[in-house]
Amino acid sequence: MLLDFDRLGWWKWMLVSITALVTLFLLLPIIFIAALSFGSSQWLIFPPPGWTLRWYEDLFADPRWLQSAWVSAKVAGAVTILSVVLGLLASLSLTRGRFRGREALRALFITPMILPVVVLAVALYAFFLRIGLSGTFVGFVLAHLVLALPFSIISISNALEGFDKSIEDAAILCGASPWEARLRVTLPAISHGLFAAAVFSFLVSWDEVVVAIFMASPTLQTLPVKIWTTLRQDLTPVIAAASTLLVLLTVGLMLLSLLVRKALKR
Amino acid sequence: MAIVADTRGNSAFASMSYWRVSGIGYAVPALLLLLAFFVLPVLALLLRSVLEPEPGLGNYAALLGSTTYLRIFLNTFLVSAVVTVLSVVIGFPVAWTLAIMPRRWAAVVFAVILLSMWTNLLARTYAWMVLLQRTGFINRTLINLGVIDQPLALVNNLTGVTIGMTYIMLPFVILPLRGVIKAIDPAIPQAASVCGATRWQCLTRILIPLALPGVAAGALMVFVMSLGYFVTPALLGGTSNMMLAEMIAQFVQSLVNWGMGGAAAFVLLVVTLAIYALQLRLFGVGRLGQQGN
Repeated sequence: MLLDFDRLGWWKWMLVSITALVTLFLLLPIIFIAALSFGSSQWLIFPPPGWTLRWYEDLFADPRWLQSAWVSAKVAGAVTILSVVLGLLASLSLTRGRFRGREALRALFITPMILPVVVLAVALYAFFLRIGLSGTFVGFVLAHLVLALPFSIISISNALEGFDKSIEDAAILCGASPWEARLRVTLPAISHGLFAAAVFSFLVSWDEVVVAIFMASPTLQTLPVKIWTTLRQDLTPVIAAASTLLVLLTVGLMLLSLLVRKALKR
Repeated sequence: MAIVADTRGNSAFASMSYWRVSGIGYAVPALLLLLAFFVLPVLALLLRSVLEPEPGLGNYAALLGSTTYLRIFLNTFLVSAVVTVLSVVIGFPVAWTLAIMPRRWAAVVFAVILLSMWTNLLARTYAWMVLLQRTGFINRTLINLGVIDQPLALVNNLTGVTIGMTYIMLPFVILPLRGVIKAIDPAIPQAASVCGATRWQCLTRILIPLALPGVAAGALMVFVMSLGYFVTPALLGGTSNMMLAEMIAQFVQSLVNWGMGGAAAFVLLVVTLAIYALQLRLFGVGRLGQQGN
């Protein structure tokens, strides 16, 4: 009866109120920054004394915000493509390969996801200083690729494990070449996994702060680095405006992935 | 069949087994990437901790022998422990409700959890910096309600870090725990209540024990993630309440002391790996796939 919602008695209302409060707690900061980004108070008084679009004007008037957003988009785009391709190849090997040390290899591939990012950030910073990749576009992409790859491998491996290999074999028996079978039979069948890998990889890179702080140079910085350096100076409402746009992007991506998932399931 | 065999100059079956991924080949590009830009740099950093400024364990002695650094370790463990307990205590009833509530409501709660998880980390931390400051919404509301006379110091201290971190970690407890509770057979608590167990007995003797693997896995994950967290403690904690990850960054960026930075990173690494090893021992590999960062 504890697991039957309608037979919980007054416990039901207790549980529902706790859940409602926690949901509000999770939602509060997001609503709050969205409201403040339109508020006229420089000191972020809530509720705002008046409404204005000034912070958005300031945001778009400063070319460094747009430049850093563009850098972020380029880095995340490159990371997404590389992460899906490398992730697909590695997943093929991990799910279908029969070789010794496969489980150890899988563990190695997942490790960057579970280690504290700051360790990787400091280690890569030292390494990139030495080989001249610090503060470069390639450096950003490589660092974020290491962080994104585990998400890609997990998503694609899960999809591959759910796919019946004998369908691919059937295509080959019917005369398809192995690569033709993979491209036209296997890839469409695991497209939801590839899509999830792409979304995760993009978000990992787009939102990544810690490695980026170490990697950034005065001339090349991503959007999170720009937010970070601004935050360290003062709590200007311009950050609220930037954050609100980021939240909108997140909502957009969530809706998109919902739609794509529905379309792929059909 | 004959046609297939002809075009390949081989039987279809033979060509299949030839093409079947049997080896490590396809994993090589990803493996090389990780060796060059993950394994090698981390090992190099650890080497520097025992080689700079001079070979030996001097950095580790300095790290563990100074009260300043020990206080930072203590702060880190304390905050991580409190965040873990809060996340589990708050997260358990939510995960429970989410597992059994009508689907339409659950979808709403679920969407909010995902939205908060996917919203940019800096945006969320910024919101808490503003909400918790002396003249912020929370202090003003409490003063207006007459609960307090003077604004509380909620930010630039460990209270602020704890609130911000709990906010970030809650979804990491709720989501896996919901799955664990959903997998429990409703007939088990049902049977207990038929046999005369009170609701409270059902909860403490059946539901909680059955959900315990999920609770422990979530708790370990939150604890270990909190130990190495950088952004939120650095922004909400202020300069005098440093935590471990920020200390590592400081050693490297401000003090350019790679030896000490490497040693502190190694301590964090060892503790993290030890906790994951414990988790693997207790729960097997399956759960590792569910982690976020």
